[in-house]
Amino acid sequence: MDDRIIAFIAGLRAAGVRVSLAETEDAMKATAHMGVTDRNAFKTALKTTLIKERADEPIYETLFPLYFGSGGPPLLQPQDSLTPDQMEMLRAALRALAGDLGELLRKLSQGLAPSREELERIARQMGLDRPRRGQNQQWLTREMLRRLGMQDLLDQIERLLQQLAQMGMSAEGLQKMREILDANREALEGQVKQFVGQTLARQLSAQPPQKMDGQDLMHRPFNSLTESEARELRKQVSRLAARLRAKASLRQKHGKGPTLDAKRTIRANVRFGGVPFDIRHKRRHLKPKLAIICDVSTSMRQVVDFLLRLVYEMQDQIAKARSFAFIDHVEEISDEFTAGRPDVAVPKVLHQIPPGYYNTDLGSSLDQFTHDYFDSVDNRTTIIVVGDGRNNYNDPRLDRFEEIKRRARRLLWMNPEPVFEWGTGDSDMLQYAPLCDSVHQVSNLAELTAAVEHLFEGR
Amino acid sequence: MNSVNEVKDCLAEQQYIATDEIATVLFLADKLGKPVLAEGPAGVGKTELGKAWAAAAERELIRLQCYEGLDETKALYEWEYAKQLLYTQLLRDKLSDLLTGTQTLSQAADRLAGEEDVFFSERFLLPRPLLRAIHSDKPSLLLIDEIDRSDAEFEAFLLEVLSDFQVSVPELGTFKAKHHPLVVLTSNNTRELSEALKRRCVYIYIDYPTADAELRIVRLKVPDLNPALAKQAVELVQRLRRMDLKKQPSVSETLDWAKALLLLNAKSIDRQTLERTLTVLVKHESDVMRARRGLDRPAPSVEDDEDDGLDDLGPAIRRIPYPPRNK
Repeated sequence: MDDRIIAFIAGLRAAGVRVSLAETEDAMKATAHMGVTDRNAFKTALKTTLIKERADEPIYETLFPLYFGSGGPPLLQPQDSLTPDQMEMLRAALRALAGDLGELLRKLSQGLAPSREELERIARQMGLDRPRRGQNQQWLTREMLRRLGMQDLLDQIERLLQQLAQMGMSAEGLQKMREILDANREALEGQVKQFVGQTLARQLSAQPPQKMDGQDLMHRPFNSLTESEARELRKQVSRLAARLRAKASLRQKHGKGPTLDAKRTIRANVRFGGVPFDIRHKRRHLKPKLAIICDVSTSMRQVVDFLLRLVYEMQDQIAKARSFAFIDHVEEISDEFTAGRPDVAVPKVLHQIPPGYYNTDLGSSLDQFTHDYFDSVDNRTTIIVVGDGRNNYNDPRLDRFEEIKRRARRLLWMNPEPVFEWGTGDSDMLQYAPLCDSVHQVSNLAELTAAVEHLFEGR
Repeated sequence: MNSVNEVKDCLAEQQYIATDEIATVLFLADKLGKPVLAEGPAGVGKTELGKAWAAAAERELIRLQCYEGLDETKALYEWEYAKQLLYTQLLRDKLSDLLTGTQTLSQAADRLAGEEDVFFSERFLLPRPLLRAIHSDKPSLLLIDEIDRSDAEFEAFLLEVLSDFQVSVPELGTFKAKHHPLVVLTSNNTRELSEALKRRCVYIYIDYPTADAELRIVRLKVPDLNPALAKQAVELVQRLRRMDLKKQPSVSETLDWAKALLLLNAKSIDRQTLERTLTVLVKHESDVMRARRGLDRPAPSVEDDEDDGLDDLGPAIRRIPYPPRNK
């Protein structure tokens, strides 16, 4: 059983779940406590020690039956429900049809399933031991059943039943026979499905775990990422955030700094008769307060996705973050982010604001922002605009932009376009840029990280 | 407690309805001596689980509520300066007695140093929850609530305590736990917890209960409510949870609502009762509007549960005109 658990853990790792050695040990101990008789308890014991994240649960649920399956449902034995006479009749019928019936039906009618060796032989013929992309369990199961001779089975069952009827079996006996054969046919399907699943799972655990190296991806422009690369990179974000967080919190600590807060010190030490036991320092507000205004038109979605993820991961280093999305109008999306994790929230937001064709209107969005959401901006707020500044030849509303800048502490702009494209075509970037405190080009994750780091430097 | 069922029964005695999964996890946590990390949406009874377990295991409950800025002096221990000061003042005469007869300043300092244990003793140590759990003479249960609200540094500090169950106070030495406390950590998942912390815990995700389980909870906690009404109420709450709301009604809100229905002496959940009490369940203005609109539709039959139609309601409402732009 221990081997099976180890193989299962290797399978989990190969599927991208992080399982440490200590957790493996816990799993072993836990299963020793629970025993293996109660399948559900066993399953819970492994799950609670190995799976530490909700997102990994589906992987666990699919892999578990593959490693700890019973080998499929058992076949019914005809002698259990048929009388000896009827059994004799069945044997005679099988003999009579010797040439016409397939091997498969002969076995099923006697309650026998193809042996494991036989299944493995077929699997080898199908090349199941050399996995290829795009093979899925369903297709492989169907193919295997076909090779076992499943198609002719229904016809053959009818033939056998006819033969039995001719030989004078009672209607009740025939009914029983039919039930047995149908049940065994389904059981066989179940067994083959399990077999295929287990074989695939074994191959999965033999594969080395996915490499978590995204260094070169960090420098790849967002718009040239494939879907799988983007997924890989999203995993990087949390590690990146951990690094940034360490830096930011270190600054925070140093920031507690040496400036004495005389007022608070005196107030705190009144109870000691004015003897300053408890020294209070001036606390600087180092945690930035953010308002993020994101362009979520199609070209911008990758950047916005990554930025919002980073901000979510850094939430404990930020005093307050509100986020807004615009295409032709502004909508607040903060709630989506405080309620759920970015894996859920980002697709939800992007789904709610469907992109149109050439309808980006930054100018009127800024105008609407100053009308509806100006309460989110005060002299401690850092505003980040994420966008390419392409305004569809609409009025850029620089007056509104200046108004926002006057009210905020800092105004940052992150633009994924290369600098030489700014100001070309419908881009108003060059008009906005002089009004910003800093403008960052963020075409890849490395640049985005640098920009976010700058944000925490607090200058 | 020697079996999963026993855990379950004990929790039931404390009026906590545990699923098999929860009971198994608690049982294992006890056997392996590991903290339990319970995650899930707000109001599904994570904190309640800690309390019920403490009562079921007949242990003292020590609770540490986490918040931003929580640090060691609030969580572990603090020297009680005021008391030290007071003692020094009151013992001034004794101190001068002690120091009489000394010739030089350094002699006096040496003699005083011989007595300094008096001032740095456990007498002046103000134990905070973590130290109390470790130091307690009776077996205890430490409930660390909403760990995701604390800072990352505090989480790192907690690792040491949770893995060794010992704490060192520089002036006094190391305290080792007399009894291994049971530990329950809860998290609402507002931020990612560190891998290291998760590795040390057994993990459970507690989701909203199924309709049956929720009905059992309502029947248990609000026994006076008419059973038919309770069933209707739970069905409605479950329907609300399937809608695209900003904040979904939690179990505790279901219970509040059930109590409200009882107080209002409602015979059935009709339109008027619902209008009057909906705000107990749904706390956002926009959610109230959406819920009203959603509930006006006929209740979906059980068969097409999946295809509720209510799920699609969210985007539909968002597409309704936003305020006119003023150019």
